[in-house]
Amino acid sequence: MDYDPEGGAINVRFLQADNQRANFIVQNFNLETANSLRRVMLAEIPTLAIDVVEVLDNTSVLADEFVCHRLGLIPLISKGVEDLLYSRECDCDGYCDNCAVVLTLNAKCTGSEIMKVYARDLVIESGQRSSDELGRPVITDSEGTGSCIVKLRRGQAIHMRCIAKKGIAKEHAKWAPSAAIGFEYDPANKLHHLDYWYEENADEEWPKDQERINLDGGPGNPDEPFNYDAVPTRFFYDVETVGGLDPDQIVTIGIETLQKKLARIMGELQGSGGGDGMDLGGAQSPTMNGAGYGGADGGYTTPGYGGASQWGGAGDAAQGGTTPYGATPYGQSW
Amino acid sequence: MTDQLPDAVNAPCWSPRIGTLVAHEPNCGLRDNQKDNRHVSHKADYDAENRFELFLLDDGQSKVEWKEETRKSSLYEHLPKPPLTNPTPSGVPNTAVFTFNKEDHTLGNLLSQRLLKYDYIVFSAYKVPHPLFATFDLRVSTDGSITPKDAIIKCCRDIVGDLEMLKSSFQTEWLGKKIVSEGEAERMAREQNNF
Repeated sequence: MDYDPEGGAINVRFLQADNQRANFIVQNFNLETANSLRRVMLAEIPTLAIDVVEVLDNTSVLADEFVCHRLGLIPLISKGVEDLLYSRECDCDGYCDNCAVVLTLNAKCTGSEIMKVYARDLVIESGQRSSDELGRPVITDSEGTGSCIVKLRRGQAIHMRCIAKKGIAKEHAKWAPSAAIGFEYDPANKLHHLDYWYEENADEEWPKDQERINLDGGPGNPDEPFNYDAVPTRFFYDVETVGGLDPDQIVTIGIETLQKKLARIMGELQGSGGGDGMDLGGAQSPTMNGAGYGGADGGYTTPGYGGASQWGGAGDAAQGGTTPYGATPYGQSW
Repeated sequence: MTDQLPDAVNAPCWSPRIGTLVAHEPNCGLRDNQKDNRHVSHKADYDAENRFELFLLDDGQSKVEWKEETRKSSLYEHLPKPPLTNPTPSGVPNTAVFTFNKEDHTLGNLLSQRLLKYDYIVFSAYKVPHPLFATFDLRVSTDGSITPKDAIIKCCRDIVGDLEMLKSSFQTEWLGKKIVSEGEAERMAREQNNF
C-alpha cells in the first residue's frame, strides 16, 4: 500500500475468538478506514428488534408504554435479517411476513406467588418461516430465562403482540448489534495523539497496558527524536456482541455495509455525467464473483451469509436475489 | 405535519386524541378498527420522531450533489498568479464541492483523509454545516491531472479494495482462531472430566 511506510499487506491477527467477542488486531491499516469501520459496526448494521406492540391486555403494575419500551430493548436473534425487508420498503400495509416477525407475550398469574415474565416467554407467532431462529429472544444466561420483563401478582395478566422489524442503530440503539466495541491504537502513545494530564509525572501516574504495548512494538525510545510523520498502522478491536449476531458476522457485515456505502457513492458520481472511462471492475476481488457495484439505483449484491441477498436493484432479479421463501418481491417492484 | 383536519378526529374512536395520534403519527403504531380503536398499539419507543431522517434520503433528494468552486478569495489581487490552484477570475480551477446527503463523519472523514494520500490531491477537507442535519460538504482540489470527481471515485474504489482484503484476512483468521479455541475448550472439559 502506498500510504504505508512499512509496507506489508493488510492483515488480521486474533487475540480471542468465541461466541461472545472477537478481539483482534488489524495491521497495516489506516486510521480513517479503521474508525469508519468502527462507526459502521456500531450504528449501521441491520438487526431485528421489537418496534410496534399491540397491547391486548395489561393489568400489570407497569404502564403500557413502559412495558413496550422494555420489550423493544430485548435482543432478538438476527441471523438471517438480510432476507427480511425494511418495513418501510415493503408493499404491505403495516407489516407482513416479508418485513416483520410477530412475537406474542401472553401470561397470567394464577398462583399466590409473584410470577416473573421473562424474555423466553416471547413466542414467535408467524409460521412458514424457514429459519425459525430469526426473531427468537437471545438467551445466554445459565437459567435460560433471558431478561425479566414484568412481575405479575395473582390475577394480573399481560397479553401483547410484538411486531419485530428490521432497523439500524442510527434510528434507535435497540438495533445495535454490538454491546461494546473496544478500539485502540498506539497504546504506548508514541505518536503523542494523547496529552496526559498529570500531577507531577504523567509516566508514573498513568497505568500502562504492558501487554498491548508489547503487541504494538514495545514502548517508545525516549532518546529518539519525535517522528512527526509517523501514522498509526495497527488497530486493536474488541467487538462484543449483544447476541443477535455472531461477533464475526458483525465485523463482516460491517465491512460489507461500508463497501456498499462507498459503492453507492461511486455509482452516483459516475451516473452524473462525465468520467465514463472509469471501470469499476478494479475494486473487485475474485471472491466478489460479479457482484455488481450498482448504477444510480444502487443495486448491489453481497456475497456471503446464506444465499445472496439483494436489494435496491430494479429488475435485475437474475443476479440471484432469491430468498428461501420464494415469492419475496426482492428486486421486482417498489 | 397535516394541513387539513385529520380524518381520524371523526373516526369511531372512544378517544379522538388517540385516533388522531395513531392515524397521523408515523412513529405511532396501528389501531384496531374492529374494536372501536380501543386496542391502541404502541411504538416500542416514542422519545424522538422521525429519526430515520438521519439516513433515508428525502423524496427526490440525491445522495451526492456537486458543483465547481466558483467562489473567489477577497485577496485575489494579492495572490501569486501562475499556480494552478490559485483562484482565477472564474473561480478555483480543478476544485469542486461535493454535498453528501444523509451521510455523516463515517464517510466524510474517511474520504477526506484518504484523498490526502494521493499525490495529485492538493486540498481535501469536509465539514458538517450543522450537527442536526445529516449532511456534509467535501471540498476537493486536484493538480489538474484528474478531475475531483474521478479522484473521489478512484479513492472509493481503493477503499473498497482495502476492505475486501481486510475481510478475507479476517474470515480466515477467525476460522483458525475459532477452531483453536474450541479445541482448547474441549480439551479442558475432557481434563476436568478425568478428575
